[in-house]
Amino acid sequence: MSVAGAGAVYDRGYRPYDGPRGGRGASTFALYKASIRRALGFRRTWRQKFAPFVLLGVVTIPAVVNVGIGYVTRDRLDNKIEIITYRNYVGVSSALLLFVALVAPDVMCPDRRQKVLPLMFARPLTGVDYVVAKVGAIASILFAFSFLPQVVLFVGNMLVSDSAGNYFTGHLDILWRVPVTVLILAAFYAVVGVAVGSLTDRRIVAGSAVIGLLLITSIASSVMVGDVVNGHGSIAALVNVLSLPLYLRDLVFLGHIDPTSPLAGVSNGGLFAVATYVAILLVGVGVLLQRYRWVER
Amino acid sequence: MLASPLLRIDRLTKRYPGVTALDGLTIELPRGLVGLVGANGAGKTTMFRLLLGISKPTEGAIEVCGIDVATDPIGVRSRLGYMPEHDCLPLDQTAADVVSTFGELSGLPARAARQRASDILDLVGLDEARFRPIGGFSTGMRQRTKLAQALVGDPELVLLDEPTAGLDPLGREEMLALVARLGTFGISVMMATHLLDDVQQVCDHVVMIDAGRLVVSGGTDSLLERTGLVTVDVGVRGDELVAALVLVGLTADAEDGLVEVTVEGNQQMDLLRDVIAERGLPLYRLSTRLTSLDEVFLRLAGTQS
Repeated sequence: MSVAGAGAVYDRGYRPYDGPRGGRGASTFALYKASIRRALGFRRTWRQKFAPFVLLGVVTIPAVVNVGIGYVTRDRLDNKIEIITYRNYVGVSSALLLFVALVAPDVMCPDRRQKVLPLMFARPLTGVDYVVAKVGAIASILFAFSFLPQVVLFVGNMLVSDSAGNYFTGHLDILWRVPVTVLILAAFYAVVGVAVGSLTDRRIVAGSAVIGLLLITSIASSVMVGDVVNGHGSIAALVNVLSLPLYLRDLVFLGHIDPTSPLAGVSNGGLFAVATYVAILLVGVGVLLQRYRWVER
Repeated sequence: MLASPLLRIDRLTKRYPGVTALDGLTIELPRGLVGLVGANGAGKTTMFRLLLGISKPTEGAIEVCGIDVATDPIGVRSRLGYMPEHDCLPLDQTAADVVSTFGELSGLPARAARQRASDILDLVGLDEARFRPIGGFSTGMRQRTKLAQALVGDPELVLLDEPTAGLDPLGREEMLALVARLGTFGISVMMATHLLDDVQQVCDHVVMIDAGRLVVSGGTDSLLERTGLVTVDVGVRGDELVAALVLVGLTADAEDGLVEVTVEGNQQMDLLRDVIAERGLPLYRLSTRLTSLDEVFLRLAGTQS
């Protein structure tokens, strides 16, 4: 006979784990997932979710507006209004810099400030794994936030066009050009943001440093290049860290540097742009590996 | 695998510029609860970093659970749990999130990590607080969370660096009771501390280091030597016993209601027994007094220096 209301406290003790167990790859992926959750504010207060998703909304607005205008003007045979092209839209994604300045320090700095690193590196994880997970997380979010609006734009344009099938087959090049350029952009800003974020344990300092680096190089480049007259720019355009990936974007979309860009008319400008891009990526990765090499010492 | 010793250290030396943190340590330790004892700066934390493979020795070799740390640090870390001395928890996350994330970082699948995080937080007494941010935790709760993250990966060996630091007496007792329970679960423990009472209470093996050098390594019981003093409790008639023992030539002294008698050999022990019996004194307790680990450490470290 059971006694109503009677209870018992059980000591469940300790149960050993005998299930599957991953190695370095699993640990790196776990850190990657945890970093994405942190960056997007998942399992955190609504305030932490606010910034990333507002930003996603902001970068998607041009696509929605473009599709809306396309729908309204769908019956005009000529002069169809297109307020933004796929190529230009990759440039709009540089608005995500604000996101990088906000999120990359948030993903990097607390690990140092709250001294969590010794706990992480007591796991099957190396310094290289840590860097891969953190850069990968930020790059993935940047890619998604840059790519999703492009998908909205493409699908929207396809649906409001006279023939969705014709639009699709007529824009097949977009299907590889957009992902490639968005990847170029995401990798660049992620490495720069995470590398700067690794240099300090204070988020505000790191965020300011990211924005400062991009704005100062942008202003310095503008002063050095001056006005672009008759398509004659200057090699000094490459000083602009903010716009550097956009020269690679032009190479992917146009096959050459845009004649209206500050790098126009520079002999082998495209080659220099690629070399500078790679050099900055290598410096960023080098800084990161240097910062976390103590794990293997 | 279980047949291999917990730890095999051979001529381990770690030098930093201007300082030798560990100097030629050679130890072999059995599985179980091991206390790593030494003053602040003795080299305990350096030893843990070397065991985890996140610092490389200047000379010497380390084997943890039969695995060479130099050749397979990742393999070693898969079998270890680590609880640092300092604050090391993300304060804006809940205990459940932190422990399950560290479970995943230990290689467990996400679902298993969440389940184990729940179980382990229950084990360390944080079941009801697990969904609260760690920033609002007391020192004791943070220590328990640190212990939980060390256990979530089901390690063979847990390295605990000053686990009772900053705890009040009750919290300290509870933490030591938790550590002692780990041994019954088949988890070996290496507990670094400068509090020898903690080690004496929990550990069955002690390693003492001083200024990076090995002072002594051995079973706790074997290190607690007989002092030659016998403590006798005869209730309120302690002074009467002291007077009687002095009459037969023994050295005795009453202190705090107990009588301490210097006894050398079985003959004097028999004499003590006879005096108590002849006087008809009530014998509540008779025990040989052992040295404390503090005394052992001070004596051996003093001898070495």
